Amino acid sequence: MSFRKYAVLSAAAAVALAGCSTASSGGATSGGGGNNNKTIAFVQGVAGDQFYITMQCGIEAKAKELGYTVTTQGPQKFDPTLQKPIIDSVVASKPAALLVAPTDVSAMQAPLEQAAKAGIKVVLVDTTVNDPSFAVSQISSDNVGGGKAAFDAIQQAKPNGGKVLVISTDPGVSTVDARVKGFEDAVKTDSKFNYLGVQYSHDDPATAAQLVTSALQKDPDIVGIFATNLFAAEGSATGVKQSGKTGITIVSFDAGPNQIKDLQDGTIQALVAQQPGVIGQDGVEQAVNALTGKTTTATIQTGFTIITKDNLSGEGGAAAYKSSCS
Amino acid sequence: MSQNTATAPATTIEPDEDRTLIDRLRSMQSIWILGVLVVIVAVFGVLQPTLFLAYNNLMNIAQNVSIWAVIAVGMTFVIITSGIDLSVGSVLVFSSVISAKVMASIGDKGWSTAIIGTVIALVSGLLWGALNGWLVAKAKVPALIVTLGTLSIALGAAQIITGGIDIRSAPEVLQTTVGYGRVAGVPVITVLALVVVVLGGIVLHRTKFGRYTFAIGSNELAARRVGIAVDRKLIEVYALAGLLSGLAGQMALAQYGTTTIAGQSLTNLNVIAAVVIGGTSIFGGQGSMLGTMVGLFIPAVLLSGFVITGVSPFWQTVAVGAILITAVYIDQHRRAAAARGGRARARTRRTASPSEAPAAQ
Repeated sequence: MSFRKYAVLSAAAAVALAGCSTASSGGATSGGGGNNNKTIAFVQGVAGDQFYITMQCGIEAKAKELGYTVTTQGPQKFDPTLQKPIIDSVVASKPAALLVAPTDVSAMQAPLEQAAKAGIKVVLVDTTVNDPSFAVSQISSDNVGGGKAAFDAIQQAKPNGGKVLVISTDPGVSTVDARVKGFEDAVKTDSKFNYLGVQYSHDDPATAAQLVTSALQKDPDIVGIFATNLFAAEGSATGVKQSGKTGITIVSFDAGPNQIKDLQDGTIQALVAQQPGVIGQDGVEQAVNALTGKTTTATIQTGFTIITKDNLSGEGGAAAYKSSCS
Repeated sequence: MSQNTATAPATTIEPDEDRTLIDRLRSMQSIWILGVLVVIVAVFGVLQPTLFLAYNNLMNIAQNVSIWAVIAVGMTFVIITSGIDLSVGSVLVFSSVISAKVMASIGDKGWSTAIIGTVIALVSGLLWGALNGWLVAKAKVPALIVTLGTLSIALGAAQIITGGIDIRSAPEVLQTTVGYGRVAGVPVITVLALVVVVLGGIVLHRTKFGRYTFAIGSNELAARRVGIAVDRKLIEVYALAGLLSGLAGQMALAQYGTTTIAGQSLTNLNVIAAVVIGGTSIFGGQGSMLGTMVGLFIPAVLLSGFVITGVSPFWQTVAVGAILITAVYIDQHRRAAAARGGRARARTRRTASPSEAPAAQ
């Protein structure tokens, strides 16, 4: 293409842009700043995950109660390179507050700092960043405690001990690392158990299944597997099925519909359910406190519910995650 | 259309004084896709004028396509040779890992470290690219397979080196100056990308290297017959794509401050989609740098616009997929029209002579 054509095109583009920006000067004020801004944006770690959907339900319920509207966005994968453009656009849409689950402790630091600088109240939900001092509040499960609870469940099911394996997602995700640490610390206190280490499934059930079948090939006498999240658990259950093994205790973090079904079928023996709905509600509460000048709490840790077949009809069932809010 | 079909009716055109600017513009492969972009921008501009068209938002969009833009320059060359490079995301990760590792071992957080890291990343990318090119040109393994292989190998190697744990010790100057710094209100990383894009455009459309690239993609056998060292050119093209992925790796370090080993999983497909949307033919022999840039901005603008207007992010992927298929459909339609030699909209006549053909895209 000739430079002349370049010139013509860039001129055309410039005209088009200029036309648009003229329109903007007389434009509307929808969603803009100001004290009467009642929008809260929620950016998930990954779209379509029941954990974040349940959190979204909690956020929407609380926001409605307090007279705020919520918009929710999330990247296709739990990937900072995909989440950053979304956060930038959300910041450009100028919500009053931003509830966000950062996908990386370093990569999301600068974009979220910029959001805070732009006057948006930032609340970190579930995951966090290296230096969260710009945030109004950070709310997450006590993940170290959750990892310990997972080991307790294995211990109860397999009092004689044996080999245990951890299927995690990716290294560097703060919450998941903490769960693994809690589990590791707990397993070391019981000499009957032999800890085989952690394998990373990259948030992909197929990879988790492969890891579990390979691990069972190497160590057919594994007695317990701790899966640190939804996808890792679904994959682990598939892997155990593929190997034709029975009697392996799988304890999973999180309680999505598939995991509840696996629990009913006996593929998974126990679930450590977080309280994403509560995290969401607390997040909105903290954001609104910050917006209305009330005091905020810097860190909030939420608890767990252990779900087994036995309490599924009662307390355990109520703690299960949702696929949609209605 | 490929070059050989274009040559025959070509000569009628250049002396045609009546051909207006509009005619010439309409005949350009990438012009209608630029129109699509303008329409998208206009629609969001009308829906959310104050927010979407805010200077900061536009700059953020530009910043967020910068890394992909650098990769896309190399990808455009590769696809014009009728090749493909799936390994770009992994080469990016590998290069940033090697660079971060070296910079961490130096320990110093200043500019000298950052520059050494950049050189390391470039060399790493260049080597991966040269390996791709050698396997494609000399070992005669199809590009799809070669780069699918190096996609796995480069990512696996990066995971072996780091144990899968991201390195977060990139020099701060890199992040504050290059990653988030601005010159005259424009992100530094975008300026950097723009320089690469303009240079890439000049090399593609104005140099012998660029013409040979088109010639190989148009008809490899003919290119060999007229004495072009096709194998060497192919190795150079893939090496260029690798080199630019290496540069993108360093830019990603600057942008994210971490090696994003688990990330970049969709980078290759997103870049390929952008190049194809921009009118570069997946069958080779045709394409333009401007088109590629337009193709990059369409998904980015859609994402930003959908987020700001509050549309579910799932629709963005649907829209991009639809635009991709439409782009290729129109491309094919024009080829068919050109092949018939008709006066159809394709306006194939613009290509004046075989030697000028590549430059006339």
